[in-house]
Amino acid sequence: MLARRSLARIATQSSPLGAAPKNARNMATLREIELRLKSVKNIEKITKSMKMIASTKLAKAQRAMQSGKQYGLANSEIFQHAPSENPAKRKLFIVVSSDKGLCGGIHSSVSKATRRAIASTEKPIDADSPIMVIGDKSKMQLSRVLGKNLAMSFNQIGRDIPTFADAAGVADLIVKSDVKYDGISIVYNKFISAVSYEPDVVEVVGENALKESAGFRAYEMEDDVTKDLAEFSLANAIYAALVEAHACEQSARRNAMDNASKNAKDMIDRLTMQYNRGRQAAITNELVDIITGASAL
Amino acid sequence: MSSATWRNFFTYNKYAQITARAVRQSLKESERVVAEKRGTTALKYQRWENGVGGPQVFLNPEEDKKVGKSAAV
Repeated sequence: MLARRSLARIATQSSPLGAAPKNARNMATLREIELRLKSVKNIEKITKSMKMIASTKLAKAQRAMQSGKQYGLANSEIFQHAPSENPAKRKLFIVVSSDKGLCGGIHSSVSKATRRAIASTEKPIDADSPIMVIGDKSKMQLSRVLGKNLAMSFNQIGRDIPTFADAAGVADLIVKSDVKYDGISIVYNKFISAVSYEPDVVEVVGENALKESAGFRAYEMEDDVTKDLAEFSLANAIYAALVEAHACEQSARRNAMDNASKNAKDMIDRLTMQYNRGRQAAITNELVDIITGASAL
Repeated sequence: MSSATWRNFFTYNKYAQITARAVRQSLKESERVVAEKRGTTALKYQRWENGVGGPQVFLNPEEDKKVGKSAAV
């Protein structure tokens, strides 16, 4: 390695005008490496602290998810007993993601699942099915691909654990908006474990389909109450999806920051090695100069 | 109950949120603080037409008052 460095030095010596002083190239490289080392160390500190924050938030989010899931399960019980006769042609997609980044593939997984669902051939649905997005990140992704289908978007959810007030607000706006649909599909990230998640779709039956289903007709409910039930069950389903997606996001962010810290640590080790080798090479070169100079006397 | 007229004005979800707010504001102070956290929402929404988004609007526009319990005089 020393021979390689001396060869490099000879090469620089034989270059014509503007040859920098002998150790300048090594020194400049050393300075660069030092700067890079400092910045990577800072980045490692930041990603490590983000990971800590995400893990504490994850514990809280998981507890909220356990209790929120009960809402979703209780909600879907009705629809299991009152299946709709004809499959919905015009679906409203509610895409659940969030506003913040640095959480791995959360937003793109949900956006991709929505695109797959709209383009799917085994359960064909209208190509102009309306989409409503919760969260800025997925909104930007989907507005580029399926911009014509976007009907409404929501944000400022997901900063903290989602509350039922958020879900009720979203459901309220959906019902009040004059968007036509036969059924609703909520696309969100299902929490499988602390290290993995996958996109999932939850169907919510619309008011008309509920009224027409055989299981429901057996009860002779008033129209008003049916409408209330449909709206409330939509809010429930949205709430369950919101809390689960929130837990997934925290776990994904923790994993992403964990990986980033590991990579940063690897980079720090590599750069430190490089820096020390460069430093020692510079010292050795100076020694060689001194000694050859001394031996010339 | 079938003579309830609120259905002409807002949805069931809004009705439930209003009643929930009333219940929360009637709680004892310590419980009320905990419950208020469960009822906060800073939701913003925007309508989209043909791939172009409209202005973002707060669902509950910020009013800087804190409705606390007032003493029954």
